[in-house]
Amino acid sequence: MKLTDFLRDRGMLLLLHLVCLFLAAGFFRLTGYSSANTVLFLTVWILLLSVWLAHTFLQRRRFFRGALEILDKVDQRYLLGELLPDSCGLEDRLYREMILRSNKSCVERIRRIEEEQRDYREYMESWVHEIKAPITGIALLCDNRRENVPASGTDYLTISLENQKIENCVDMVLYYARSEEVYKDYLIREVCLEDVAFEVLDKNRLLLIHSRVRADVSCRDNVYTDGKWIAFILNQMVLNSVKYRGEHPMLRVCTRRENDSVLLIFEDNGTGIRPEDLPRIFDKGFTGSNGRDNGRSTGMGLYLCRRLCDRLGVGLSAESEYGAGTKLYLRFPVSSHIRDARLPL
Amino acid sequence: MHIFIIEDEELIRGELKILLENALYRVTAPDTFTSVTHITRQILDEAPDLVLLDINLPGLSGFDICTQLRRHRDVPIIFLTGRAGPMDELSGLLGGGDDYITKPYQAPVLLARIATVLKRAGGRASGEGTLYTKDGVSLDIAGCRLSFGGRNVDLTRNEMKILHLLFRRTGTFVPRMDLIEHLWENHIFIDDNTLSVHIAKLREKLRSIGVENFIETRRGMGYRV
Repeated sequence: MKLTDFLRDRGMLLLLHLVCLFLAAGFFRLTGYSSANTVLFLTVWILLLSVWLAHTFLQRRRFFRGALEILDKVDQRYLLGELLPDSCGLEDRLYREMILRSNKSCVERIRRIEEEQRDYREYMESWVHEIKAPITGIALLCDNRRENVPASGTDYLTISLENQKIENCVDMVLYYARSEEVYKDYLIREVCLEDVAFEVLDKNRLLLIHSRVRADVSCRDNVYTDGKWIAFILNQMVLNSVKYRGEHPMLRVCTRRENDSVLLIFEDNGTGIRPEDLPRIFDKGFTGSNGRDNGRSTGMGLYLCRRLCDRLGVGLSAESEYGAGTKLYLRFPVSSHIRDARLPL
Repeated sequence: MHIFIIEDEELIRGELKILLENALYRVTAPDTFTSVTHITRQILDEAPDLVLLDINLPGLSGFDICTQLRRHRDVPIIFLTGRAGPMDELSGLLGGGDDYITKPYQAPVLLARIATVLKRAGGRASGEGTLYTKDGVSLDIAGCRLSFGGRNVDLTRNEMKILHLLFRRTGTFVPRMDLIEHLWENHIFIDDNTLSVHIAKLREKLRSIGVENFIETRRGMGYRV
């Protein structure tokens, strides 16, 4: 609150005083008061007015500064009504009551939306779990028939591959729902990264073999994280590599131990990413020129990877040479606390 | 080896049965689930070597069956479920399960994990020998060695896996795709070209111990020993 703004706000009052001053001066003059007395009278009037204005200004300024400070400090700003400093002014009290009522309806609405969202999310999760039963049924059926009914082996293989695509889409939905939620659904424990990599390659075995992909896994290091989430992230990377593969596709997953972190490197020799696209590949909905050429990119895969990594505290970055391949890095911080706790005493 | 399946989805139950029977297990899979005690009784009567247990059954929970079962016998239990939350997994393992596999599962992965649990429980996974012989050529799985007429040659892991499958299906042509899949199942992630290289090396090794034309090739059919 600036003084000029304050004075402009009180313009009518000042005008009133000015008119009264002139009237009083004119009246004194007509009734024959000495001009010295008149000047004294007017000076005292102006002095009193100034003191009163200064006092009001300081008081209002303190009040609003206090309110602003509170507003800056709290993260749920819509609760301002509850937090406003006390004031005996009538207007302040009236406004405060109004803010309180408005806040209350705002809070109620937020709660209702949160509830709806939770219901929706819970339904999504149970839906995902339900749909996994038929997916499993189809997968098992195809696996069994593929070997026992060689004549239609390729048909069953195609169904298997398509079924796998459904499964991947369903997983995306599940992890999208999970990445939204702030408080639950992951379990940190010691994870052997090699097992996770094997699991992901196993899962996509048919797709990879039929895309003539070779793979090389060498992950000696264990980290503390949620294995399922990491599996989902690696799965996205594998799917991307298959989608944007070049000739003689090759995947390499390896780990490297650095000072206070373990680095997992996921490397392919596919199309690669154009330099101008590289900074945005983890953005939501970003498809880039590769995605546009391919026409089947949703721009969700890597975005979800980044979301999940953020929540797990894993660093995610990418390097690529267009036309030569892509390297994705997952950096798992190693807590010095855990490391020390495991030292032999 | 006798496996007991508790799964309410008819399709999955049927396919699991086929899958496990193809892997030479004996399988019992009831199709009614009246009560926890009833099912537990059934399992105890059958005395299987392993139980595959679905968690979501109509009206009852797999966890309860597991707890009941554990009170009487220490039979290995693997949970099969569509629920993938970490808390479900935790309660599965804490509740006395030996493993926890989420749907949709891969057939080879499922078989591998069943074998692991059975082995840990002290049984044999399946009755496979460690020595194969054909026309005087013998493959020693444990020693990773090939011998013929007193001459030996060491094999790499990849070569061993290839020969293993060929020996197991002696007399039939094994398609290249099957070989590649078999290798992938054993975490050797190779492609078509690499397989050709391995086969060439194998023939070289066979020649070095005096065996010629042991691995037959037929276009479009695959390899045969």
